[in-house]
Amino acid sequence: MRLRFVSPFAVLAWTFFPLVFAALGLFVLNRPGVTSTQLAYGVLGGGLIGYWGVTYLDAGNGIQDERWNGTLEQIFAVPTPLWAIILGKVCGGLLWGMLSFLPTLALAFFGFHAFLPHIDALPFAVSFAALTISFFAVAFMLTPLFALWRWAFSMLNGFELGAYVLCGFMFPVTLLPQWAQAVAGLLPPTWATRAVYASTTTEGPHDYVVWWAATIGLSVVYLVGASFLYELVQRKARVSGELALA
Amino acid sequence: MRRVALEAQVFARSTWLQYVALFQWATVTGYIAYKVLLPIGQILFFVEFGVFATGRQNALYFALGNALQLTANAGIYGVIATVANERQYGTLPILLGSPANRLITFLSRSIVNVIDGLVTVIVALALVVVLFGLDLQRANLPLLAICVLVISLTTAGMGLLFGSVGLVMRDSIVVANVVYYLFLILCGINFPVSRLPGALQLISYGLPLTRGVEAARQAAAGASLIHVSGLLAGELIVGAVYASCGYVLFRLFETYSRRGGLQEAY
Amino acid sequence: MSSQAAAAIQVTALGKKFVTKRGTFRRTRVENVALAGVDLAIQPGELFGLLGPNGAGKTTATKILTTLLLPDTGSARVLGLDVVKETDAVRRRIGFVFGGERGLYWRLSGLDNLRYFADLYRIPPDVSRRRIANLLERLDLSERQHDKVELYSRGMKQRLHLARGLLNDPEVLFLDEPTIGLDPVGARELRVMVRELADAGKTIFLTTHYMFEADAICDRIAVIKKGAIVAEGTPSSIKRVVEHEGVVEFEVMGMTPERLAGLRDLPGVSSVVVADHELAQLVTLHCAHPADVMTQLGVILVGADLKKVSSREPTLEDAYVHLIGEST
Repeated sequence: MRLRFVSPFAVLAWTFFPLVFAALGLFVLNRPGVTSTQLAYGVLGGGLIGYWGVTYLDAGNGIQDERWNGTLEQIFAVPTPLWAIILGKVCGGLLWGMLSFLPTLALAFFGFHAFLPHIDALPFAVSFAALTISFFAVAFMLTPLFALWRWAFSMLNGFELGAYVLCGFMFPVTLLPQWAQAVAGLLPPTWATRAVYASTTTEGPHDYVVWWAATIGLSVVYLVGASFLYELVQRKARVSGELALA
Repeated sequence: MRRVALEAQVFARSTWLQYVALFQWATVTGYIAYKVLLPIGQILFFVEFGVFATGRQNALYFALGNALQLTANAGIYGVIATVANERQYGTLPILLGSPANRLITFLSRSIVNVIDGLVTVIVALALVVVLFGLDLQRANLPLLAICVLVISLTTAGMGLLFGSVGLVMRDSIVVANVVYYLFLILCGINFPVSRLPGALQLISYGLPLTRGVEAARQAAAGASLIHVSGLLAGELIVGAVYASCGYVLFRLFETYSRRGGLQEAY
Repeated sequence: MSSQAAAAIQVTALGKKFVTKRGTFRRTRVENVALAGVDLAIQPGELFGLLGPNGAGKTTATKILTTLLLPDTGSARVLGLDVVKETDAVRRRIGFVFGGERGLYWRLSGLDNLRYFADLYRIPPDVSRRRIANLLERLDLSERQHDKVELYSRGMKQRLHLARGLLNDPEVLFLDEPTIGLDPVGARELRVMVRELADAGKTIFLTTHYMFEADAICDRIAVIKKGAIVAEGTPSSIKRVVEHEGVVEFEVMGMTPERLAGLRDLPGVSSVVVADHELAQLVTLHCAHPADVMTQLGVILVGADLKKVSSREPTLEDAYVHLIGEST
């Protein structure tokens, strides 16, 4: 965690990028007639993007650093299993990512005099917890992919904004075409994000139980998938020796 | 005449070799990730957000703005990465110890990225036409093409400045990220510059893209060259200023390195 | 014609220091003197070796002569041209090769690397085509010329570096530790090529910290220590520095600072070098009267486990060690 203070990329990930998206959202929404739902997305969207970005980037960058230093194979020789190493990285990323809300909420309040129009505390808290679990599950599953395939990290970076679209961080996924909504529905954060925003407005549906169940259910599926991937990575490293070439 | 042809041949070959040697996205997966997925993702994200925030009638405003901003993908990231790769390979001392023309060496770092920027924007505009129904029947297409070329040049000009900074700054790609995303806020990509506070508007007009994007929007609406010539001239001047500052920095850093500094870069 | 005017490389009172800053909050300025008034004169066609340990100033001297660094004091001329004021002219007539793997474009083939650098040196395409083919053949790279450099072995990369350094057919070639990191066979092959270049009339300025390398191929050597030349001449003349001395060597377990000081204080001892050798230390003493020193060892090293005591005539490496005066 100490490294986060000195790494420029880490500082960018939890301060600058969330602020950019928050500022963009709030400038665009800075007009008469904006609804409370739209305002909620403007206030929270940047923070959510930062929260997600830091979580998956931390673990991914960790693997990439090992690869660039030529130590990817060596970390499999340590007594600590890979999943435990990654667990620590993802948890650290989650804690760090939560800090993204600080600058973005401050910008909204002090820069644009914007704040959440409404908040149901308990549903918000549970939804946020579900969101955290979903981020954990996805990041935990993605990380062994980065170890397996050199191109995986590039591809995910390229897909970054696409993920923001599908997860509904800054606008409801219900705006997307049906086929895109179906794809979005396969991502655990999509449901949790919907629940978080629902708890900040009195408008629209509030199917919390369905959304929480979908989030947790999908997260479990992702974690099961992750266990297979970690096994595959172990095999590649120790049996076929291919990790050194990855 | 023969000498000119020879110089042109050498220049063309050097540019091609440089592209293969240093171009940041020279692998298939890298190109797909950063030159296809990322631009598509950016356009989709901002168009959908723009529709949500301001209504479907403004979809084209966001689509066109973000398609044009993608020149910065090549002009900023690409140029900075090219210089950073040069530094990583350790070939700077050899370049500087050679009798090669400094200005040509400097400018050639951006040429491939200008071409790449043009391609990216053309593809993005085609995407916008297909996905969001951008109606180009009224557009002044030759003028739009000129606007796109001008923007590619000016963003590359700024990239050259940051590329020079990258000679002394290890994490120059951080600068590239900051600048790229600041363009989204400051250059009239997603909302008019007039919405920014006064001081930020001043900064906005000191950046590439601001005037060029405005000119391109007018070209897409059918304006003629006369109407936008002032904007394009201003855009070119801004780009030239950045490129010139980048060249001056490049020579200054070279002299500084010969005095004993910057050993890790040179 | 004076010898100064005929010199291919003329260095007069060359000085250079680097300034670094230490500390995070209270920054202190630290000066590191890399060159402290160096004088050298290298004749055309000579293969000159600059020998010294790491940090002695070899690379700094090379970078100044190849126009990559500016000196703080003194002057340097290559082929009669001032390296500070006539930079472009110098660059057109010299070639330089720094050791190590950096300095090549790994994504390009060997051939394309040479083509690119030939373009930078503004060599006409028809000339560069012939010259590149010739160099690739001569440096045994023809078969792999179309392969990307990232697939080359260390030795091949170094030969490609040498080819690049010879692209403009330089009159003076600077080689900064060219064999570093090479296996013995590769290093020997490179040394043979360098000697052939000198025999063909090129002036070569070579830096190395391997005494045997300098001894094997150089016409003349200078030894540099902490930025100053401590000896200069042919390998034979440098060896005469220690010809009046003998060498006593022994293995010991239990060398302490006090015992080391006792050895240094023995009459006639000029240097003591201690190196770790498995579990023991290998001690090499340069002294005027080896027989006398050997009788004193038992006294100085009482209590230590002393083995394999021997004496021999000094070698060129001993001369180098004597001049550098290193000890651990």
